[in-house]
Amino acid sequence: MKYKILLKQHIGAPCTSTVKEGQRVKRGALIASPTGLGAPIHSPFSGTVDSVSDEAIFIEADETQSEEYEKISGENVTDLLAASGAVGMGGAGFPTHIKCNVDLKGGYILVNAAECEPLLGHNIAQLESNLEKTLEGLKILMKHCNAAEGIFAIKAKHEKAVAILDKALKDEKSIKYHLLPDLYPMGEERAVVREVLGKLLLPTDLPSAADAVVINAETVLRVAEAVNDKRPVITKNVSVAGKLKKGKDTQVFMNVPIGTTVGRLIEMAGGIDGEYGEIIMGGPFTGHSVDPDTPITKTTGGIIVTDAFEDLSGKRVGLLLCACGGNEERMREIAGRMNGTVGLIQKCKQAVEVKGTLKCENPGNCPGQAEKCLNFKKDGCTDILIGNCSDCTNTVMGSAPKLGLTVHHQTDHVMDTVGHERMRHLTKSKQVQADITSSGDYEMTRIIEGGMLKIRIKEGKNIHIELPC
Amino acid sequence: MSISEETARAHVNDPAVLCCRAEKGIKLTCHNLEDPAIFDDLVDSGLLDLTGCLKIGQVIGATLLETCDSLTPLTSDKIDKIMEQSPTEEKEEAKAAVETKLPLPSGSGSIKISIGEGKDILIEMPVSASANMGPAADNTPKPEKLIRSLKRKHYKITKVERGPETKIEGTTLFIREGIEAEAVESQELVHDLKIEVITPDLYHTYSETIMDVQPIATKEKGSELGSGCTRVLDGVVMMVTGTDDNGVQIGEFGSSEGYLDENIMWGRPGAPDKGEIFIKTQVTIKAGTNMERPGPLAAHSATDIITNEIRQALKNLDDESLVVSTEEFNQYRRPGKKKVVIVKEIMGQGAMHDNLLIPIEPVGVLGAKPNVDLGNVPVVVSPLEILDGCIHALTCIGPASKEMSRHYWREPLVLEALFDPELDLCGVILVGSPQINSEKFYVSKRVGMTCEALDVDGAFVTTEGFGNNHIDFASHIEQIGMRGISVVGLSFCAKQGALVVGNKYMTSMVDNNKSEAGIENEILANNTLCPEDAIRAIAMLKTEMSGGSVETAERKWSPDVKANNLKLISNVTGKPIVPVENETSLPMSKKRLEKYS
Repeated sequence: MKYKILLKQHIGAPCTSTVKEGQRVKRGALIASPTGLGAPIHSPFSGTVDSVSDEAIFIEADETQSEEYEKISGENVTDLLAASGAVGMGGAGFPTHIKCNVDLKGGYILVNAAECEPLLGHNIAQLESNLEKTLEGLKILMKHCNAAEGIFAIKAKHEKAVAILDKALKDEKSIKYHLLPDLYPMGEERAVVREVLGKLLLPTDLPSAADAVVINAETVLRVAEAVNDKRPVITKNVSVAGKLKKGKDTQVFMNVPIGTTVGRLIEMAGGIDGEYGEIIMGGPFTGHSVDPDTPITKTTGGIIVTDAFEDLSGKRVGLLLCACGGNEERMREIAGRMNGTVGLIQKCKQAVEVKGTLKCENPGNCPGQAEKCLNFKKDGCTDILIGNCSDCTNTVMGSAPKLGLTVHHQTDHVMDTVGHERMRHLTKSKQVQADITSSGDYEMTRIIEGGMLKIRIKEGKNIHIELPC
Repeated sequence: MSISEETARAHVNDPAVLCCRAEKGIKLTCHNLEDPAIFDDLVDSGLLDLTGCLKIGQVIGATLLETCDSLTPLTSDKIDKIMEQSPTEEKEEAKAAVETKLPLPSGSGSIKISIGEGKDILIEMPVSASANMGPAADNTPKPEKLIRSLKRKHYKITKVERGPETKIEGTTLFIREGIEAEAVESQELVHDLKIEVITPDLYHTYSETIMDVQPIATKEKGSELGSGCTRVLDGVVMMVTGTDDNGVQIGEFGSSEGYLDENIMWGRPGAPDKGEIFIKTQVTIKAGTNMERPGPLAAHSATDIITNEIRQALKNLDDESLVVSTEEFNQYRRPGKKKVVIVKEIMGQGAMHDNLLIPIEPVGVLGAKPNVDLGNVPVVVSPLEILDGCIHALTCIGPASKEMSRHYWREPLVLEALFDPELDLCGVILVGSPQINSEKFYVSKRVGMTCEALDVDGAFVTTEGFGNNHIDFASHIEQIGMRGISVVGLSFCAKQGALVVGNKYMTSMVDNNKSEAGIENEILANNTLCPEDAIRAIAMLKTEMSGGSVETAERKWSPDVKANNLKLISNVTGKPIVPVENETSLPMSKKRLEKYS
């Protein structure tokens, strides 16, 4: 069987192949190296290189595959992480060895187990089935990054995983967990920092501004494999859900070889049940439409087969863009598939553009949407398509229906498929239930508004602020 | 939308309404409150009832007693206590409150702030280095500086005939017979092209949608576009019209097909004048290409084969006695006067709207670059380049608000500003209006940076579109305004084109509407920028630049606002301003009767 291994599986430029047509490769062998910022790629199979293109390496895999793999080598943690090809497996694809090459000076490693996109379940399944290895990875990172504390950020609703964590962490002095409310987008990097550490970062800040590294739970597991087992990243945990013959519950597949096609994974999950709307790679909010031949990469989290789209019969539909949902291209695609005519396009007040993508100034906390809805009405829209988070969607629902605008959410066809409630009104509390870890003598918020930098401190002692000018 | 502390302070006595869901037990801050600016609309829409609603100053700092959803008016039963002080007063009384506005030192180094102990500390400082730190401006008058001149020589045409060659004899223009075939041949997408010569007695002729009206002009040998000498034919214009193979108008919604005399607003800068002869091409393009960029472009390019042959004939004339009049435009810089720039947002949506920039010949095709291919980024041109036809406009829809090529040739705002001795017009910035939102903001930021680099005191921003075009229009104004530059916007708005977005810099706006009902009524050039609009915009910008402010208009569109503007201006200048006519001066077409009345 021939597999397509993409040369771009991370942020940055594609890798260049280090193998030639006809060459034999063992499972785990290095097949491509980064050209700049990036991470190497290893063969998930033993087999023969069939061909190499600008985009991918095609490998004809041997009939029988063993669990053995070619080990990576390195002097220290940074070298091993760099050699393993580990990247942020939550979807961002940022090279792990670069992200973790930081001195946190006694700060925090935040393990992102929020898994906040609906339907995904492989991170939680990993904590339930193999917490030990994940803890190994966390301890490696805490030592490596000079962090005093490791904190799992997990939604309170995952009671079983929380119970396992609770038990396992009893004797761990420096590792704890923090419970998150069941809202989207609690897993956004800066939302995790805000919820766990009580600090709101600027959209341009990295978590290191709060002395923290936020790292996806599966990436932590791969760190342990790289450092302790000298194993390169050649497999990925994937959630498959949607319109499947085996039922609508999410199925989790552990250690799927990278390069496996979306179609093959769907077959493994029972195959598509009848007619379908689209196949989404990723989650319902930030994923994109793919065809069955697409291979999975180090950043693939979910495969979702959806029902057909609703038909708007050409109605004028306004698009509300935000950082939580699809970008303009994706929203236009959905509006097109719904057979709507795109009218006014607006973006949420809190969505700011950072390096070409929208980021939310305060993820999951709505800045108000009534004015946007009035504008859609003025533009003559009858319908609006939104991709907003739980809180913003709730606010849109507070005014749009009364103005006669029919609200569609970009996840509607997904939620309908699996029989979940559509994103509409908020029925859960916005309040964070657990304690807020605070560092230092005071809490400080920084915002940039109307060209002014504003620093606000409610109360504190020994305050020192230094700014270059 | 949630408001800033500054807005909250300005609105302490306005109603307090939650902008979003807020949980029981929270302490209310400005971030929980909706902007009072939209309350009128919300009340009108039945979304809000402000009976019993407390004021913003009474709720900030109070605790919410129950979880409430967005747009809930805060009444006394919903909070624990009514706060008696406004947020400002509260701050003053707070223990060891610190609020300092420091002028930033301009040198290098750093600011260090140390506070031993304090409460409610707010530090605000500009993100970029502070402006206006230099000595006061030198007020001694400086002489005008002539940058360049442009001369137009006018040749009168009274008759257009067909003949064996294209030539000008006296006041008769001959167009070569059979040139149509070459025009069709030149473009793959063009399947047919007919030439009709429309003389005033034939104005009641049916025509397909008018895609462009163009002056027929050529540069004299040795002159470049925007300077030197231009020859132009009076009494005759080129008119591009067309459909696709299936007879579908080359226009998305809103096209001007019909009897010419019922669909042209005579005398608008971009339209023909009554009495002129039209050389009208009717181009048929490949079916289905009417909505894509190559289709309309092919129709224009095919027409230009004919125009260009006339240009050559005009260029080769060496009988100076045929020149009936000359005009001269001088571009002066006026140091010491308020420096202004005109930003013109032109279409660049990529589907069918495009503009060819800076051709070799006035309103030509050859040598020009489509602004869509330039990425719609700002391109700076001189006012004289505008008046010399540096824009070949491919505008095909929304005929009442779109600027034809001829519009730029007679652009009223450029002319008014160029001749105004109190203004130092430094240039014109052309910026395309891209289709994708992120690209709209990409180009508007470049506009802001360009204006910043030019260091202007004021800017005009014009647009020829509405609806989605207003997103970039608003963003241009914001990008300019946030840099401390006075800015006035000009656009068709009225009823149908009411602004869908806004920001705090959109305080001085001129509505280009002329239509009776305030709508895009498909009458060619009806709602485009006219001298009366330019005069109003200049008066507003001067007011803004000298530190004054423009009064807020009533919320609902009313033509009285414009009438009052004009009255005020003519009272000051002592010159009467007679508003141009509108569609009511034209015979009523069947379409207008059925669709718009």
